Amino acid sequence: MTVTPILELRGIDKSFGPVQVLHDVAFSAYPGEVTALVGDNGAGKSTLVKCIGGIHSFDAGEYLFEGERVQVNGPRDAAALGVEIVYQDLALCDNLDIVQNMFLGREKRRGPILDEATMEEMAARTLAGLSVRTVKSVRQQVSHLSGGQRQTVAIAKAVLWNGKVVILDEPTAALGVAQTAQVLELVRRLADNGLTVVLISHNLNDVFAVSDRIAALYLGRMAAQVRTTDVTQSQVVELITSGRSGDLGLATTNGATA
Amino acid sequence: MMKAGPSQEEIRRQNLSTLLRHIHLGGPASRAVLADRMGLNRSTIMALVTELTTAGLVREELPRETRRAGRPSLVVRPESVSRYVFAFDVGVDYLAAARIGLGGAFLDHRETVAPRIGLHPGETAATLAGFAAEMRDTAPPDAVCVGAGAAVRGMVRHPDGLVRSAFNIGWTEEEFGENLTRRLGLGLPVLLDNESNLGALAEHRRGAGVGYQDLVYLHGDIGIGGGVISGGRLLRGHSGYGGEVGHMLVNPRDGRPCSCGSRGCLEAEAGQDALLEAARRPVGAATGRAGIRGVIDAADRGDVTARAALHTVGDWLAVGIVNLINLYNPALIIFGGTLPDIYLGTAAHIRSRVNTHALPASREVARFRICRLGDRTLLTGAAELAFTHLLSDPLAHALPAPGGS
Ligand SMILES: Nc1ncnc2c1ncn2[C@@H]1O[C@H](COP(=O)(O)OP(=O)(O)O)[C@@H](O)[C@H]1O
Ligand SMILES: [Mg+2]
Ligand SMILES: [Zn+2]
Repeated sequence: MTVTPILELRGIDKSFGPVQVLHDVAFSAYPGEVTALVGDNGAGKSTLVKCIGGIHSFDAGEYLFEGERVQVNGPRDAAALGVEIVYQDLALCDNLDIVQNMFLGREKRRGPILDEATMEEMAARTLAGLSVRTVKSVRQQVSHLSGGQRQTVAIAKAVLWNGKVVILDEPTAALGVAQTAQVLELVRRLADNGLTVVLISHNLNDVFAVSDRIAALYLGRMAAQVRTTDVTQSQVVELITSGRSGDLGLATTNGATA
Repeated sequence: MMKAGPSQEEIRRQNLSTLLRHIHLGGPASRAVLADRMGLNRSTIMALVTELTTAGLVREELPRETRRAGRPSLVVRPESVSRYVFAFDVGVDYLAAARIGLGGAFLDHRETVAPRIGLHPGETAATLAGFAAEMRDTAPPDAVCVGAGAAVRGMVRHPDGLVRSAFNIGWTEEEFGENLTRRLGLGLPVLLDNESNLGALAEHRRGAGVGYQDLVYLHGDIGIGGGVISGGRLLRGHSGYGGEVGHMLVNPRDGRPCSCGSRGCLEAEAGQDALLEAARRPVGAATGRAGIRGVIDAADRGDVTARAALHTVGDWLAVGIVNLINLYNPALIIFGGTLPDIYLGTAAHIRSRVNTHALPASREVARFRICRLGDRTLLTGAAELAFTHLLSDPLAHALPAPGGS
């Protein structure tokens, strides 16, 4: 069993003005595993992920990467470590094709001109490496793709940029059954290929289907981080809705953590 | 008494077999890489590659897709276009056939769909033989068929392939393999095995189970089948009927009647009919994968009947999985056929029950995965079965009589 997390946060506090959104949050993610991050609306999942991605600074706490304390002062620092985040809105450009989207902002140049052939080959190779069969041509415009294919492109983009830790914020939220299945399969494949995956999801079927661990946030506190083989759906629901379940979770829901 | 060691001839045959297996499953590789993988020196590898090349089984050429400067080394690739097998899949409501090249490439494919199409063994064999003939006519003139294999949903006697019983299509004591062999007229026997055994083989060699030695493959369609691989080998039991997971007894007291004549078998409780009935799908609504997806879709949109149906079926499936985990300590449970949909549709339920009931030490290591080969899993397994003879003795079977018939 893996024991050393590649990514570890300890004691994270984060406030927006007078409102404290994260309280003493600890979170770990492991190579080869999918860690699901769950919690009610407003629990602080996206905020935590933005702290990991360097979009938000945090007020207190430690950020460890591969066991070393690191300073992450912006998205570039996170990207340099190999932390890639696929946000809910995906940030794809509809009027560009798949290759252009995958290289957006980081185009390969050969002198002053873009090296189209190399970019196309890299994009195709990344998709093939993920056994993606649902995307026919990498020169299709993104506007022609289904929701599942768009997610696939956004995820492949993260992998292309040497993502070691890939964080997905609700990748299946807007998808139907068949496309959800495609995206979940891809999520699982990323981890099986050795990457570290963090999956934010509201759907407990998705969470139980692909995760190795579940981290439950409750009102800005980490209620518990458990192995998926050790808990039941009702325990996870309790952690999400009340911060505790039997021996698991927060000692009190308004004070110090257990 | 000391046993005499293997003869030079046996060692050579063994090495040729191992080498061809590496190329068949591992794909194109340079001689250096192959030497490394097999732990043989380069001159031995060179001699073996030459023999396989002469036999028309492999070819050495420059790797494709190289753009780098410098001289790339040659790779040994399988003759996937000119050495092929026929793979057949006898479904309950479809018949499929494929021409699959050495190395696993799908070269051609035929399929027909109809309710209960497999009911008549003679017509089934005729249809499949017709597909094979069509695919053979369109194959390159120098292409040679080196084997044939078929997946059957039933109890298939090992090793002779007699179909003892295939409940969902009503066959008993059916010499289907001989029938199909005769109609094909290739001069090669069609090898038969149970569909889930072949699914397990396929996923183990080419799919989600690569690198695992202990796994259970579960296949859902009308019924539920299972294939167990333990220590890298398929568990067959005394006569080949092992791994009939679908007829694992889970609910003997007031269980639903099963096609096998018993009641409360896993497939009676968790098969397609059980799900569609519990979801109270209207008469005439879709069955098969479309029907199952319909239920999952409905559950997703909040339909409480569909949800309850998925939970019930998920519960029973979990009972089967708990027993499999406790009995076999698999590192992997692979869902194939229509089970991936059911698994994703009710994973929280299945996992919860498994986590509540399975032995913790075994449960911790059991990963759940969706089949990687998708709709091609069973045909891939049938092809692997068909390649058995060629792979175990490459030179003996390399060049069957030209034309075959
Ligand atoms: N940029 C911001 N400024 C002020 N408050 C914010 C900001 N982003 C998030 N919040 C607040 O932080 C809390 C946690 O939000 P968020 O992290 O988006 O939760 P989740 O992703 O779990 O639904 C919410 O109360 C939200 O209103
Ligand atoms: Mg959010
Ligand atoms: Zn039965």
